[in-house]
Amino acid sequence: MRCLTDTELQAAVDNEGGEAIRSHLERCEQCRARADERRLATDTLLACVNAVEPSPATDLRVRNAIASAGTDRAGGVRGATALRASWARPWWPRAAVISALATAAAVVLVVQVVLPRFGAPTTLSASEILGRSLQTLSAGHGIELLEYELTLDAAHGHRRIEQLVDRDHPARFRLSNFGPDGVLQSAISQDPAAGRRSHLVRIDGRNYIFNFTSPDAPFIPIPQMAQAQVEAVITMMQATSDQKLTLVDTPHGTDYVIQLPPVTPANGGAMLELYQARTVVDGRDFRVTEFEASGAMLKQPYTVSFKLIRRTVREPAGVPPEEFILPSGSDDVVLTGEATIDMFADLVGTALRELARSQSGR
Amino acid sequence: MSTIAIAPMLKGSAGVSTARAAGQDPRGEVLSLFEEHRSSLFRFCRFTLASDVDAEDAVQDTFLKLLQHLERGGDRSNLRAWLFAVAANLCRDRIRTRRRWIPWDSSFDRRTAPPSDEVLDRRAMADAIRILPPRDRLLVALRAQGLSYREIASASGIREQSVGRLLARAVSRWKHAVDAGQK
Repeated sequence: MRCLTDTELQAAVDNEGGEAIRSHLERCEQCRARADERRLATDTLLACVNAVEPSPATDLRVRNAIASAGTDRAGGVRGATALRASWARPWWPRAAVISALATAAAVVLVVQVVLPRFGAPTTLSASEILGRSLQTLSAGHGIELLEYELTLDAAHGHRRIEQLVDRDHPARFRLSNFGPDGVLQSAISQDPAAGRRSHLVRIDGRNYIFNFTSPDAPFIPIPQMAQAQVEAVITMMQATSDQKLTLVDTPHGTDYVIQLPPVTPANGGAMLELYQARTVVDGRDFRVTEFEASGAMLKQPYTVSFKLIRRTVREPAGVPPEEFILPSGSDDVVLTGEATIDMFADLVGTALRELARSQSGR
Repeated sequence: MSTIAIAPMLKGSAGVSTARAAGQDPRGEVLSLFEEHRSSLFRFCRFTLASDVDAEDAVQDTFLKLLQHLERGGDRSNLRAWLFAVAANLCRDRIRTRRRWIPWDSSFDRRTAPPSDEVLDRRAMADAIRILPPRDRLLVALRAQGLSYREIASASGIREQSVGRLLARAVSRWKHAVDAGQK
């Protein structure tokens, strides 16, 4: 006889195999070893299933339900049960009432006293998941590298954003924006300790790099500002009452998908309005891995969506400072200037000065 | 008088039979069956639904349905298999309709102290269970409660001939996932 298939081995392990399978196992050492291995895996898996026991509270609850079911459905009880004299009624209904009161008291005690101490609710609402993801957005330590796929709107296609942030010094970062073709389109890097801020813009196939230095200029933590926007939207989602929460099993665990149904745009005066939003939260660490939102900010419509591609966190000592610097190539135009509080004026001023200099030099 | 016949291969209840006189209140009988099968049904529902609270609800609903079934003079030939079939249906319905509130699983929360190797192993096993498709979980949970292939087929609506193959595949999937998680 040929060696046993996995199905036949499983049947043997489950005592469902026939005589042919049993006799083959007696003769074939290889199949016996495979059966032992499968038995071990099966037993371990079944032990996982049976590692739980119903609590005494469950027992009590179900017993009460069974006992009180007859009294609740008096019309549905037929025959001798319905005609039984009152003195012969079972003891359960009375016991059920007493037990129900005791159960209710116990539940109140657990909900009001025990759970808050452990911080472990028995269920999580969409709002609570969003709250936890907000905590993970603001928490962190070390040098974090995030790679996102970003879509600002359909016309501009997908972009890849690389965000390197020193979580211990949020104003120290590098943001790189790669176009749909994978070429670096723009970047900004900043290191307050070195008094340096750099911008890169690619125009007509050429990189223009602006390096600004100043030991005293204030350095704005741009990733934190972008994060604040996401937090604002998530907070709005959290405050909305009709979130739809779906649990999705994935190879790495469970994802929470939280969606706000589309609403008709209102012409309100709110600074930030949200028409629809969808976020995917990784159940392992409550990190937002996908985010889509559309609405209006200062009455200007916006649509944004991003998807987390990769996230790595390293100890600061293991990250060379060069990673926070925008490297320049031989064909790149590099301009220098002094950093001020106005980032836009720095860029335009330096570019215009360079233009005037080149014109006067002709 | 009718007698509940329990399949001889079933764990625990082999040889147990419960008599009921005609017209007798079935609640005593339901409580007796609850005492006998509560653990296995709870484990089955807990594994299938991955939630204590939902499992408790499903177990309660199963026994309330049993009460109605007996009150209506329903078939008593294999009440254990009947219980699992009803519980399986209730679990399916619950999974289908579960949207707004979801069970909280503390293993998702990583804001705790670093786990030990043993905890990691258990977590790898639990994570591997999570990736099993619902049908695999259902079959494994039924098998874990000692149901024969025939009873599993009856409770799950799957052909008896397919039960072994699907169980073999579920165990292999789980094992691969555990191995991958431990690497």
